[in-house]
Formats: sequence, structure tokens, C-alpha cells
Amino acid sequence: MSNALKINKGIEEGLRDFLEFLLKSEKAGAVFALKKMNGKGAVSYSLITDTDELKDAVPLYPLMPVNAGKALSSFTLEGVPEKPVAAVLRPCELRAFIELVKRAQGSLDNILLISLTCGGVYPLKSLTDGNLKKLLSQYWESAKKADIDPGIRDTCQSCENFIPQLADMTVVSLGKKDLDKECTIILNTKKGEEYAREAPGSIVSEEIETAETKKLKEKRKEKNEKMVEDFQKDGSGLKALIKTFAACLGCHGCSQACPICYCMLCDFDSKTQEYKPVSFSSELKQKGGLRVPPGTIYFHLGRMSHMAVSCVSCGMCSDVCPVNIPVSTLFSIVGASLQGMFDYIPGRDVEETVPSGTYKEEEFVETGEYSGSG
Amino acid sequence: MNNNDMPKIIGFLCTWCSYTGADLAGTSRLRIPSSIRVIRTMCSGRIDPLFVLKCYLKGADGVMMMGCHPGDCHYQKGNYNARRRYVMLHNIFKTLGLEKDRIGLWWVSASEAPIYAKVTNEFTQQVKRLGPNPLREEIFI
Amino acid sequence: MNSTQKDKNAIPDKGKTLPAKEGVNKAITDFLKQSLEKKCFEAILVPVKVLDTESYAWVLLKDESILDQADPLPPVMTVQGGRALSSLTKHGEIKHKVAAVMRPCEIRAAVELFKLKQINLDNITLISMDCPGAMPLSGYMADPEKTKNTFTKIMEKWEENDSLRPVCQICQRFSLPSHLPPSPPLSSADQNDPDSSASDLHIGLLGGDMKQIFLIPASAKGTELLEKLDLSPQDSLKNWESKVKEIIEKKIKKRETFNKKWLAEIKGMSKFIEAFDECLNCHNCMRVCPICYCQQCYFDSQTLKLTPDEYFQRAEKRGALRFPLDTLFFHLGRMSHMVLSCVSCGACEDACPMSIPVAQIFTAVGDQTQKDFNYVPGRNKEESLPLQFYLEDEFCEVEVPSECEETAIGEAK
Repeated sequence: MSNALKINKGIEEGLRDFLEFLLKSEKAGAVFALKKMNGKGAVSYSLITDTDELKDAVPLYPLMPVNAGKALSSFTLEGVPEKPVAAVLRPCELRAFIELVKRAQGSLDNILLISLTCGGVYPLKSLTDGNLKKLLSQYWESAKKADIDPGIRDTCQSCENFIPQLADMTVVSLGKKDLDKECTIILNTKKGEEYAREAPGSIVSEEIETAETKKLKEKRKEKNEKMVEDFQKDGSGLKALIKTFAACLGCHGCSQACPICYCMLCDFDSKTQEYKPVSFSSELKQKGGLRVPPGTIYFHLGRMSHMAVSCVSCGMCSDVCPVNIPVSTLFSIVGASLQGMFDYIPGRDVEETVPSGTYKEEEFVETGEYSGSG
Repeated sequence: MNNNDMPKIIGFLCTWCSYTGADLAGTSRLRIPSSIRVIRTMCSGRIDPLFVLKCYLKGADGVMMMGCHPGDCHYQKGNYNARRRYVMLHNIFKTLGLEKDRIGLWWVSASEAPIYAKVTNEFTQQVKRLGPNPLREEIFI
Repeated sequence: MNSTQKDKNAIPDKGKTLPAKEGVNKAITDFLKQSLEKKCFEAILVPVKVLDTESYAWVLLKDESILDQADPLPPVMTVQGGRALSSLTKHGEIKHKVAAVMRPCEIRAAVELFKLKQINLDNITLISMDCPGAMPLSGYMADPEKTKNTFTKIMEKWEENDSLRPVCQICQRFSLPSHLPPSPPLSSADQNDPDSSASDLHIGLLGGDMKQIFLIPASAKGTELLEKLDLSPQDSLKNWESKVKEIIEKKIKKRETFNKKWLAEIKGMSKFIEAFDECLNCHNCMRVCPICYCQQCYFDSQTLKLTPDEYFQRAEKRGALRFPLDTLFFHLGRMSHMVLSCVSCGACEDACPMSIPVAQIFTAVGDQTQKDFNYVPGRNKEESLPLQFYLEDEFCEVEVPSECEETAIGEAK
């Protein structure tokens, strides 16, 4: 049981009120949240310093134009904000931010982390197809019942990590009937309680994990298992992999959108991976033909070996892919497998080292040892 | 045996242990298969998983990583990193259904020439059973 | 080259007619097979169907059996051909004689990249063909069958069709530059010099009712190739020329309307901002653009990284600051970097996850800016890039407007 701030307004309005309180009381110098760009449903993350601009904030909008963890990393890469910033971001975005902080690509100092129990987001196509506005009311009905909304990203449907671990505050957005009348913000940490002091609303007791969230976790787990099963049936094996990436343009949009891929010059864009004339000649001779530009599968497998261990399954990669390759499904499955090997959950603990950056002297003891007759 | 049957295996050997062990195997006139093409690195920790990936994708029938036994690395920690990198790569191959038995990691010390001989011979047999790497002919990678 | 040829804007008047009984694609791939067999080339760069999927990938092939899966004119443009070709010569000239079979805009992009020193064209023969346009990539991925059927119909009749990509619908450079209004380059390149022609060989598809193709040599290399294959260009190209001219005129009219519409659509800062409201700053457009060759884009570099204080300063100025930063700066900046070489291939719009009409906007602006320099990107290898060239007397109206004698742009005094 934790303390929670209860505001007697609808969930989004109540949260906006709380953010306004933070700005007005100067407890925060800025708010970082989704904001409307136009009347057609486009939203962008914004650093908001003025309460007037805050009126256009839609912090719980079910769309992820960029991974907020990536945005916060670019905000805190070159230093620490001198005034506190209240950031509203989804659990996977928060976990991505933590993974980036572990890699010295950002800082947690002076950031108030506000997250939510997450019902997922819609794919970006729902905005370009014009369906988003119609889907919004359906989204909140599913959220109230803690059901899986059928329109959300594939990765969201199978995400079991929808309850944030390291947030200072968590907005209860799932499994509550009266989300349009009450906004409940659980205060997870001392910092959270500090910021909520004197805020409009009353302090109540609230449980972050409820019977509804447990049920949702089960449902999402089922979806996850089905996703892995389907992959093993249709997507596994060399030929299937080649077909999955048949349409790949090599645009590397997936890597640009990925929060974990922070390298300013990706190895696969650099000179080291470019083919020299002799490589073209030898492959032509060897195979009779080669795909150009070369290295399509190499890029994806290489990227996997670099970042899949920290993949938070946010789904940005699939969303920006111009040819609808299910990148996030593939990377999530490989990521989960790698993470399982080390009992690692990306973003659960900022002190926990990334598995690829460390080792234990006693581990995998059978690996490498010749086991045949001596 | 016909040279066409002999698989092409790339072996990344660390200078201080496994390369020296391989050298000893040679001077001791132990039988080493001609499938192994050795690339020498200073330490097994230098082996970038991308090297293994690149060799595999280019059509190598097998790729071997070799280094000093854990605790004996000339640079103290290199082989611990190599072990993790191999384990992760192996996991990626397994999860994606790629032929994980085409890659392997072995600890071979400078004096373990017979182990080098056994490991290379057995791995060559293992890779032969898998047949030539289909990626040799694959245009669309 | 005889004098009539020079007057005609470097369009050859004779070609070689080949029958296309089993379709135009087969006729082209048969021709390519022949050229491989007769050792005119060691390798061919052409789009090939990937196994049994509906996708196409550029393949550099030596083995002629691969040509059975090739489609020189696929319904979509996947990787821009100029970009694919440039990957071959990043570290030096390709060591084999290669024929690159690409759409005209891809050839033009390759020529621009050549001028930017990003492609080495030694050993490369550029083969273009009449292009009806390409279908939008997202529609194709959603329903490949339907898209293919529409495209086949368009190829048969070569009619106007709203299903084609918007920039393809207004493209008047879909063939060799026959009967395009003359616009002599400011730089002294002789645009009629066949050796600096963009294509070496052009495959005419129009004017033969899709039952014939016309092999048209556009440079000495092209003529040599045909002679080597015993396909001496002796046949009349009158049918082809008249059909091409007819379609060019229609397209030019459409382009004028298009430009008027788009220039109004983005006129002024607030309208321009609105056009990019949904932009995620994913930079896909830049990444697929053939002209954007920089290994690390300026807009991804350290120069544009800010400290939190700088973020705050910018946010406090207007009360809010959009993330990721500098969306407009990216687009306007990219425009200022590459729009003079924009070949309107449309790859950018195909790659945009938010369906922003990037190609249409850049085409409209590109046309206006290229016009000022009498520049047409990629039409000629010798024609200097506008920013790599100047005349001592030009654009005086931007220097001292009130004192300047009115001269037509480009006319040297």
C-alpha cells in the first residue's frame, strides 16, 4: 500500500492540473510531456515552461511519436538541468531512459519521473490512416477494464512490464471504472511525496498492483507466448529470416528510432562496414550475384548483438519501418531470450550493469571446456 | 579426401594461449585438419561478435573462437568478456533458428596441443555433418 | 555526331527495334542475357524479386539465370538506384564492367552523385528506360496483388493514373530529354555532347504498343554496345518520339498546376510548419535520399547537441519546446543542402512513416531553385553543380537591386 494523490477530475485533466501546480509553485521549472501539435491528432513531446502552453498538453495520449527515453537522454546528455523537470513517460520509455543512463547517455538528476500503469499505444499508422480519433474512446474503455485493446502495437499487446518500477509517481490508468472522474497518482518514492505536498487533491492509500493488473499481466503473457510460438513456427530459420528482411531498404530507420541505439555514427553506417571493390568481386565470383547495398541481414543481426539485451520492446522500430517489417517482434523475442539468460530486465534498476558490459568469473563454466576423451 | 569436401572453418586464436597451443600441435606433428584458417588476435577479448557473424554470413562453414582458460588470460579479463559475447551470440543463433552448431568457443592453453588437435578435428566433423553453409550461395542477405 | 543530331537536343534519330512478344520485361532481360553472354558486361545491376516474396532488391549479378527473376521496371521503387550504385564504388572503381539498369530518375541521381564524387562511373554503363512512374510503397506493402495489377494496366496504356506516386504523375523526365524545352546550362557544358549524356543506352517502351522495345544509343558507349551485339541502330524512332513528346506535353502542364498548388500550400512560415506538424524527426527521408550521402548528417552531429540550460532557454522563449528539436531546421537545412540536386525520385515520401508529402514539397521548391540556375540535376555529366560554378556577371539583382539593369537571369552581359 502506498500513498496516492487523488484529484477529483478526469484522469488527463487531473494530471494536467497537477502538472500546472508543479509549474506554478515553481517546484518544477518545466514539464516534459506529450503536447498537441494541431487539431488533427498529431502530438509531440514538449518541454513546457509556461502554464498557458500546458493547456495543450495531453500526457496520456496513446501515441508514441518518439521514445521519450531517447528524448530525455538528448536533454540530459550534455549536463544536468538546473531546474527540476517533471517528465511524464510510459514504463518502456522510462526503462529505455534508465538503460541509457547506465550507458552514460543521460542523467536522472533533477528529473521527476512520472509514469503510469500502461494500456499501450496505437501504431503511428492509426494517425495517418485517420482512425485515431475514433479509437480514443475505445482505448479508455479497454483501460478501465484492464483489457488488451485490439488496436495497440503488437509489442504493447504482449508487454508484461506495464507497471513502472523506478517512477517517482505512477498515474493509475488501468483497471479503474471511474477514470473519467478521478485521477489517482501513486507516490512511489520520497521524492514523489515531496513534490505532491500541498498539491490540490487528497491523500489516499492505493495499491499499484491490483487484481485487474494481475489479470492483464496474465492475458499479456498469453499473447507473448503466442507471439513466440508463431515465430518459432513461421519466422524461425535462415530462409524465414531472409524472407522477413526481403523488403528491407537499409534505411536504418529502426536504429534511428530505437532508444537504445544512441551511437551518433552507427558502426553499420561507418566506413568499416563498407565493401571494398575486392569484396564485390569475390562475392560475385562465389555466388554469381549479391544484393546491393550489401549487408542487409548483417545489419540486423549485428544490431541485435549490440542492443537486444537492452530491448524494452517499445515498438518504435516497427512503427517507423517504411516496409512494415515486424522488427520489434523479432528483436523482442531475441531480446527476451538474451535477457532471460542473465535474469536481466532492462531498466529495472539503474545500478544493475548491462550484461554485455560485465562478467562473472564463475559463470557458464561448461562453455569452452573440452569435454571429450582426454 | 576431396578438397571440395573440406569445410572452411575460420578460427580466431588468441596469441598467448590458443595460437601457441596450435603452434605446438604443429611442431609436435599432431594431425590438424586443413579446414582451419587461423586469424590471430592478441586476446580472445578482441574477438568482436561481428567478426563471427561476418564470417558466418559470408559462408564460412564454421567459426571457432579460442582463448585462454578462465583465470589464465594474459590480460586478466579478456576471456571472460569473450565468453559472454560467445554465449550471447550463440543464444541469438539458437533463438532465430540459425545453425548454432557452426560456431563455438574453446579454451586451449599454450601447452594443450592435443586438445587443439582434438577440438579442431571434432569440430570439423561436426561441421561436415551439417554440410556446406547455405549462405555461400545466398544472394539476398 | 551529325548536325541534325546537335539541333535536336542530343536525341539520336535511329535505334534498334526488338520484338517483345512475351512482354516488355522479358524482352529487356533477354537483351541483358545476350549482353552477358557476348561479354559486353561482366555483371548487371538490376532489381530482382526476392525468392517467393513480393519484394524487390537490387542485385549485382554475373549468373544470367538470376535474370529470370529480374524485373527491370518493378511497380515500386525500393532502394533508390543511385544509392545502390554508389555503394558499389565507395572505396574505388568497380573492377568489372557493369551495366546498371535503372529508372531515369535513378540514373539522374547517379549522375548527381558522380558530380559529388560519390560514384566512380568508370566501367559502368548506364541503361535507362521509359518509366510510367512507380506506385506508393505503403500501398504496395499493404496489397501487392492489387498494386501490381494497377501497375500492369498503367504500363499497357501509359495513361494518367491517380494511383501512381504524386511526383511520378507530374514527371516529364521519364524518358530521354527529347522535346523538353531547351534550357541551356549556365556552365559551359555542351548539353548536346553525347559523351556527357546521362544514359548510355535508353530502352524506349513507348510507341510500340508494348509489342516492341527500342534500343536507343545515347552516347558513344551505347552505340558501341549495340554494334558489339550486332544490333546496329538502323530503325526509325519516329513512333517512339511522337508518343514521348505527347506525354511530355501533358506532364509539363500537370507539373505547372502541381507547382502552383504546392507553392501556395507551403507559402509562409505557419503553412510550412503545418505541413510538418506530424514529423517525428526520424530522418528516414534523408536516409533514403540518394543525394544525401553524408556518412554522418550534419543534423545528427555533435554540433546540434545542446546542454539542458540551452534547452531551457529555448523553451522559456516561447513557453514550450518541441522534442526532438529542430524539425523545421532539419527540413529547411536539408533542403538548402540538396534541393538543387533533387531529382524528384520520391523515395523520401515513400519512406516517411507519417505520410508527409516530403517529395511533393521538395519537388516544388526544387523546381523553383533549379530554374534560377537553368539547372537540371542529372541530365548531363559535364554540367557543373550550380554551387560549384559562377559567372562573374550574374544575379546582380540580388546585389544592388535598385541600381541593377534588368537582365534575364543567366544572361551574361
